[in-house]
Amino acid sequence: MSVLTLQLAGPLQSWGASARFARRTTENAPTKSGVLGLLAAARGLTRDADAELAELATLRFGVRIDQPGTRVRDFQTAHDLDTDESMPLSERFYLADAVFVAAVAGADPMLATLYQALRRPAYLPYLGRRSCPPARPVELAVHPGGDLVGVLRAEPWRAADWYRRRRARETDVELTLLTEVPAPGSTPNATLRDQPLSFDPRHRRYALRSVHTSTVTVPNPQARARQTVPPHDPTSLLDLA
Amino acid sequence: MTNRTIVEVHALQNVPPSNINRDDTGAPKTAVYGGVTRARVSSQAWKRATRKHFTTVLDPSELGVRTKQVAVLLAQRIAAKQAELVGAPAMALAVEVLQAATGAKIEAPKRKSAKSGGEDVGTPEAAPQSSYLMFLSNRQFDALADLAVEGGADIKAFLKDKEQKDRAKKIANTRHSVDIALFGRMVANAADINVDAAAQVAHALSVHRVESESDYYTAVDDQNTADETGAGMIGTVDFNSATLYRYAAVDVDRLEDNLGKGLSEDDSPATPVRRAVEVFLDGFVSSLPTGKINTFGNHTLPDVVIVKLRSSRPISFVSAFERPVTADEFGGHLEPACARLADYVPEIERAYGEEDTDTWVLRVGPATRKLADLGTEVPSMRQLTALVGAAVAERLEHHG
Repeated sequence: MSVLTLQLAGPLQSWGASARFARRTTENAPTKSGVLGLLAAARGLTRDADAELAELATLRFGVRIDQPGTRVRDFQTAHDLDTDESMPLSERFYLADAVFVAAVAGADPMLATLYQALRRPAYLPYLGRRSCPPARPVELAVHPGGDLVGVLRAEPWRAADWYRRRRARETDVELTLLTEVPAPGSTPNATLRDQPLSFDPRHRRYALRSVHTSTVTVPNPQARARQTVPPHDPTSLLDLA
Repeated sequence: MTNRTIVEVHALQNVPPSNINRDDTGAPKTAVYGGVTRARVSSQAWKRATRKHFTTVLDPSELGVRTKQVAVLLAQRIAAKQAELVGAPAMALAVEVLQAATGAKIEAPKRKSAKSGGEDVGTPEAAPQSSYLMFLSNRQFDALADLAVEGGADIKAFLKDKEQKDRAKKIANTRHSVDIALFGRMVANAADINVDAAAQVAHALSVHRVESESDYYTAVDDQNTADETGAGMIGTVDFNSATLYRYAAVDVDRLEDNLGKGLSEDDSPATPVRRAVEVFLDGFVSSLPTGKINTFGNHTLPDVVIVKLRSSRPISFVSAFERPVTADEFGGHLEPACARLADYVPEIERAYGEEDTDTWVLRVGPATRKLADLGTEVPSMRQLTALVGAAVAERLEHHG
């Protein structure tokens, strides 16, 4: 058993779990189906390769929100190029300026293959939507023998420089961890329909999976020690006796 | 995966006060990056502009036709190949072949008058249509017509043969037109013939912080002779000005899957891909979304275009601008943006072992001087597309 860590950073990302038709929403963090889709694309799997996807889907998934970003609503109009007819207006939501560390746990050989595939992806990589290319290399490392939660807890803080400086007063920062397996002190109440069964465009299917929410504390390398106020008592100079 | 080829295009483009891509409130689109607000031009806006540019440089035979009248078009080609088939026989062949190739239903639309029982004697019988808009390239129409003529004697028996049916399906799946091969196609009920786009276009972002400005305007009514001469109309237009970083990548291997190899025996197998890469490069660089362009007249072209040919993975340089660029002492964001890129590109490539790339730089003016050493300097866009096209073709032929 190993753990493969990925960093998902870019000006825009979009991770829809229940996005359909004209309103394409995004979750607050990468979905399992989105990340497995990224891995499947790197491996060069076609959309109807259900058997290979089933193998990928056995991976256990977790994600840490290193920099939550802000939500962007994109309003999109479309016209038929030939007739200039208007298509339905659509709304697309993005996460701007976000950074995540995602991790998948599974058998060693599969993770080694995936790590190599990410370095030479068969299809161009994107963060949830094709117009969102990653701004940093996606693959981080394979941790042999690691457990999903442990690796995500030990990973250094991947937030951008400016964001770490903005939080310079905190020597340690608390990050949200969303994992498929229970983590210490987690609340296992949420479910998300993002366990992919088929990416086949004729019948995309997803199953429910559980999400355990917990927090993890990581050191802030940009932290500045707070200036301590020197002991100062003006009244001590007064002769009050 | 050893012979991979990816073309990257990076451009820096100044856009003066303008509103080329606006949201539903009429304000220019924005996004937060590096903690500050940036101007944004959506990828779909720029893809549309690029696609429109194609129509000015490509022969219609290289573009697709989007229509429900696919059977009519195919029947015309069949008749052109075999004159005795003109009319109903050609149409019957066309319907059979199209249904086998795309799996879609092709039938004459039902008429309202027929439903109410009235005999519709005045109008001729309507031509069969597909139930949704289909997007087929002219090359696909030609290949399907050939197939129809070949099996013309007994088309139903001909297409029952699995081998022939597969041939029909294959035609619908390859030799796509240039724009479909690059940007993809979604056919609502025929997932079989969807095409995965070979090109990826990112949202363009300004390299610096922007604040939207608002122009308050009044328009005088020339014919108003009253003493009280108020404005005939008032309003506001939102705008901003930006130095944009634009990025796109073309997956040459996927493009080859979509386009197929050479058109004929004596043609180089790399010709369709080369042509598509050149057209994309030219279209992406020189097109501009046209929003409010008559209001602002913001016709500009990029001051810098960097093209890279990679063999492992694409790299966007947007991170170089995560810390927003500030105007230098003489003003302007272009020069400091170029300095950023000149430092950033070699660093990221060294760090991730991606130095083994061909790089071409097209640049204008002294502000871009720092980028001169990034690759081979090219004096014109025409030469840039020719050089990149030749390099792509060379790689494809070399690797077979």
